[in-house]
Amino acid sequence: MAPHMRLGIDVGGTFTDLVLIDDRSGKIHYTKTFTTPGNPAQGVLTGIEKILRIANAAPGDLEYIAHGTTIGTNALIERQGARVGLITTAGFRDVLEIARIERPDAGLYDINVDLPAPLVPRYLRLEADERMGADGSIVRPLDTASVVQAIEKFQTEHVQAIAICLLFGFRNPVHEHLIREMCQEILPDVPVTLAGEIAPEFREFERTSTTVINAYLTPITERYLDSLQAKLQASFGAIDLRIMQTSGGAMTAQAARSRAVNMVNSGPAGGALATALFGRLTGDTRIIGCDMGGTSFDIGLIVDAHPRVKSEGEFEGYPVKIPMIDVEGIGAGGGSIAWVDAGGGLNVGPRSAGSDPGPACYGQGGIYPTVTDANLALGRLNPDYFLGSEIQLHPDRAQAAIQEYVASPLKMSVAEAAAGILRVVNANMVRGISVNSTQKGYDTREFSLLAFGGAGPLHAVELAQELGMRRVIVPPFCSVFSAFGAVTADLRHDYVRTVALSQAEATAERLEPVFRDMETHARAQLAQENVSPEAVVVQWAADLRYEGQSYELTIPVANDEPRLTDPHIAETIQLFHDTHSRVYAYGDPGERVECVSLRLTAIGRAPALKLARQKKTARPAKPKSKRKVYFFERGFVMTAIYERSELRPGHKLTGPSLIEETTSTTVVPPRFICSVDVYGNLLIEPALRSKAARSSSKRAPKAKQAERK
Amino acid sequence: MKYRADAVTMQVIRYAMEQVADEMGYTLVRTARSTVIKEIKDISCAVFDRAGNTIAQAHHAPMLLTGFELGMRALRRHYSDDELDDGDVIIFNDPYAGGQHVMDLVTFAPVKLKGKLVGFVGSIAHHTDMGGAAPGGTAGGLTEIYLEGLRMPFIKLYKRGQEDRELFGIIANNIRVPDKTLGDIRAQASANFVGVRRVKEIVTKYTPAVTHACLEKLLNVSEGRVRAGLVALPDGDYTGEDWVDDDGVTDDPIHLQVNIHKRGDSATIDFDGTAKQVRGNVNAPLATVYAAVYYALIAIVDPHVPPNSGCYRPFTIRAEEGTIVNPNMPGAVGARTNTVQKITEAVFRALAPAVPKRVMAGSHGNITNCGFSGYHPVTGKRFVYIDIQGGGAGARPTKDGRDGQDSHLARFKNTPVEAVELEYPVRIERYELIPDSGGAGKYRGALALRRDIRVLIDDVSWARYGDRQRFAPFGVFGGHNGAKGQFVLNPGTSQERVMKSKGLDKLKAGDVVSLRLPGAGGYGNPQDRDPEAVRRDVRDGKVSRVQALRDYGIEITDDESV
Repeated sequence: MAPHMRLGIDVGGTFTDLVLIDDRSGKIHYTKTFTTPGNPAQGVLTGIEKILRIANAAPGDLEYIAHGTTIGTNALIERQGARVGLITTAGFRDVLEIARIERPDAGLYDINVDLPAPLVPRYLRLEADERMGADGSIVRPLDTASVVQAIEKFQTEHVQAIAICLLFGFRNPVHEHLIREMCQEILPDVPVTLAGEIAPEFREFERTSTTVINAYLTPITERYLDSLQAKLQASFGAIDLRIMQTSGGAMTAQAARSRAVNMVNSGPAGGALATALFGRLTGDTRIIGCDMGGTSFDIGLIVDAHPRVKSEGEFEGYPVKIPMIDVEGIGAGGGSIAWVDAGGGLNVGPRSAGSDPGPACYGQGGIYPTVTDANLALGRLNPDYFLGSEIQLHPDRAQAAIQEYVASPLKMSVAEAAAGILRVVNANMVRGISVNSTQKGYDTREFSLLAFGGAGPLHAVELAQELGMRRVIVPPFCSVFSAFGAVTADLRHDYVRTVALSQAEATAERLEPVFRDMETHARAQLAQENVSPEAVVVQWAADLRYEGQSYELTIPVANDEPRLTDPHIAETIQLFHDTHSRVYAYGDPGERVECVSLRLTAIGRAPALKLARQKKTARPAKPKSKRKVYFFERGFVMTAIYERSELRPGHKLTGPSLIEETTSTTVVPPRFICSVDVYGNLLIEPALRSKAARSSSKRAPKAKQAERK
Repeated sequence: MKYRADAVTMQVIRYAMEQVADEMGYTLVRTARSTVIKEIKDISCAVFDRAGNTIAQAHHAPMLLTGFELGMRALRRHYSDDELDDGDVIIFNDPYAGGQHVMDLVTFAPVKLKGKLVGFVGSIAHHTDMGGAAPGGTAGGLTEIYLEGLRMPFIKLYKRGQEDRELFGIIANNIRVPDKTLGDIRAQASANFVGVRRVKEIVTKYTPAVTHACLEKLLNVSEGRVRAGLVALPDGDYTGEDWVDDDGVTDDPIHLQVNIHKRGDSATIDFDGTAKQVRGNVNAPLATVYAAVYYALIAIVDPHVPPNSGCYRPFTIRAEEGTIVNPNMPGAVGARTNTVQKITEAVFRALAPAVPKRVMAGSHGNITNCGFSGYHPVTGKRFVYIDIQGGGAGARPTKDGRDGQDSHLARFKNTPVEAVELEYPVRIERYELIPDSGGAGKYRGALALRRDIRVLIDDVSWARYGDRQRFAPFGVFGGHNGAKGQFVLNPGTSQERVMKSKGLDKLKAGDVVSLRLPGAGGYGNPQDRDPEAVRRDVRDGKVSRVQALRDYGIEITDDESV
């Protein structure tokens, strides 16, 4: 049988998640295996065998495997990357350490807070005697003796990877190229990362940081990919292995070898992709994905049915300039600890009990009250049905912790204190969502909230209510959402060129050759990856700003006609004025605009997804039990508990009710109604708006159309 | 019925207000035109209650954060509620009316709901040029406030949302780079408009009664935390001192003394023993003096308290008129940062014996500020390039100082070398740490920064101020002093010349200005330093073998250094 299945794999801290899509039947299979930290490839292999068994499939059925790995993320968090040697322009070896001289936010008044230490110590940061001018002219030719000296030092010090970042190297790469050749000649086995290839944009510290992270993660990434590919080859024969990027696109394993930095934080990107995809299924084109786990709360904004991609961000306090899906994390999760400060204010976080010792109710030595303890004390969690009963929860320990650290100091009852903890953590998350929506010029009232991760569905409806959002969606298999995102990801390659032109200089004649040149590279790359030309989509964009500003907005450039024309550019500039006005409360078409960089994104479309639709039922849903659950402004109310796997399309539940599944619990407060759609999504809306809800279901055909494109 | 605020709603409203301040800061930085705002981020934004108490602040420079206090008090005296309309933006920069220096333009906007005043928002930003004797305004040695630039009392720059074109015209006529500065002022107004819109939404949602009750509680919570922190501090009278090198006019050193009288849950701070007002512009207006005292005491007492006006209530500050910490008109104040950073350092020094685990050693202790100005060879337009640098941060009770990082009041960013060279006719030839500039100690003081700037055209003016070029950053508890700073013109050539720390000079094409900032002091006896840490510093070239042997008694024989 021809390959007709796709497999997505996301390796997390505890579990390796797998999602298998059968494109012929529209069926989706998913499972989890334990992550094998010493050798994650082993857990991946076990998982593949397991899911093939579940789906009764053979390796030959697989068209490709899309893999999101935390190998780089973990190496960065644990500082387990390579010993890197850095070559800079003479006089600038300390740029990496000086950074922007600014101490972190938390160090505004706290003298003990530091930036993370540079990934390359000073004695491995060496200088090449050379200098490029701002216009790309050679101010001082490269003195090769200085380079030889540096490389020899690297040799003595057993450097495992080399990063090269020269001032204005993005304007004229000739010196960076020369140095790479010399490195490869003397140290042929040491991988080299060039700044001009990884992040060719101005601002030397941020560019150096990105280059160094790539070098730092290259050897460990290469080793992992080699080991995984060898194992896959041995067990299953040749398989197309794709690696998830933080941009939300996939790349081939071969391309990934030189772009290790692009793989960091790809898990949340997968979550955002899946959010957008489900939004398209339910007809919600404006949607905020909220992934709440044990320690963090990730927020992904979807506007116009696709995740937003930004051109820079940071990992672990280190800035990076690469395309990344705009997912922001805040330190709020089930493990966040509640505490009362000296002034009598109730706070939740930023400290977290994590998974070890975990919340007080785990009974594993945690003594401080956490958000999970508050949820348990309020009846929102089932002590006997947590993580599929793998962990037994202890309500008495949760209550004792809340009593001691919150209720007593604030002279409240335990229930009031637990409710207070939820309100404060909710406020924190509401602020996180606002920062990532309203602050970017979007009105949350026009958005739906899609909740996933273990704790997301517990808080989702109350968050949405606070923000006046349209409705809440809890998708099926929400606990393997990142893997689902990975398997549906397109192949993607991003290119950027800094041009620095004034509005008068930015003519079609000047810009088109730059775009065409990037496009030639991009199409060749995708052809090499066996993408057929009709599956290729190329997008152009320009980074624009008002003359004198330092920050750009990325604005699309039309490329659907054979030639770029000046009217196209005028359109782009008009769109810039409009966008600026929306985001920053003013825009002025009379002002001059500068064109800083041109960007090109090349996409090799993954097959369109056709999810199977479940049959509707006419029978009402039956609760599996009842218990008392606390709701704000109501107190404890006798509440119906439903089992998620028993729910079918057509079921309608009124709040207050709880919907339990092995890895999550959905809270439906009073005055809300939950319905189930044909894809198994829970859709939760205010009861008053149920009429509007009915009319929105009529949009289903349109949603299908969106999915097909 | 009076609404009784609960701890939870209070926290919810607090987060919402902090988000407003952050959003204002984001808008200002993204839309501004001059590097001093968009790269260096010498700005702050805040939200106030209707009485003018600071409620929430964007996380930028502490000097500007706490500096809103006096300006706001003056504003409340200046206008009645009825004189403030929706859409108004009021600007001012008068150091003698609660301002900082004339370069720092403060804007306030009232938030009115159904005709009633419910709060204010404000932003403050350092501008590239405000006219006056020196391009960029950052020259040392100016002797009167009139030389420092256009000084504005409270003025409504926007009335009911409408820009006052005449006032913009007056400003434009008096400054050197109106394109940039007017763009920056509009960016500040945008930030205020965004803030007003958001505060209205919040107050509408929670009602004015609930909002005000919660904000009052929030102020009380912060006050309570600071008072609790003070109770834990031993009662006593503490004195700390420091010196400013000179005032840029004469070479006389200037004495600063901070006396802290701590009793129970409050403290009174005075400056008895501090020098009289000087002719040069290192006099510090009250707003910055308050900021320095508040900053240092909060850092020591409770660095994570929600920063608002409640934090300041336990402190009484007394600064005698006619002294360097409360000058009389027309004293010049432009280079005040040299003085106020020393106040911060003196507070740490005063309290070091009482709370040795909460203080740090002396830091670079100034804000090195240069303004280069001339006519751009390509555009023919006037340019003003402001370069602000940090320095070395002092060693701490359990850690070395942060090499080449800023500390205390500033919290600025540097300007990327590439951003500078893309915009101005200069070339930066070096930006690096200076070995051996950190004071030895059990924990080493931070290394200083060196930045060498070559100007590529003739007729560039170089306005500057810096300090700690005569009085070194102090070590504590046996730690050694850090290196002093120095400005050198054309180093390594026959024209090499050490320049004054504060001044205004002309440069010609090819001249190199080498800024060597002060380092920082060490903490504890160097003999107690972990020998591994000394070896690591030598291997990294941060400490020479000579210093390792002399200060730490460790001889490095094998080839470990670079």
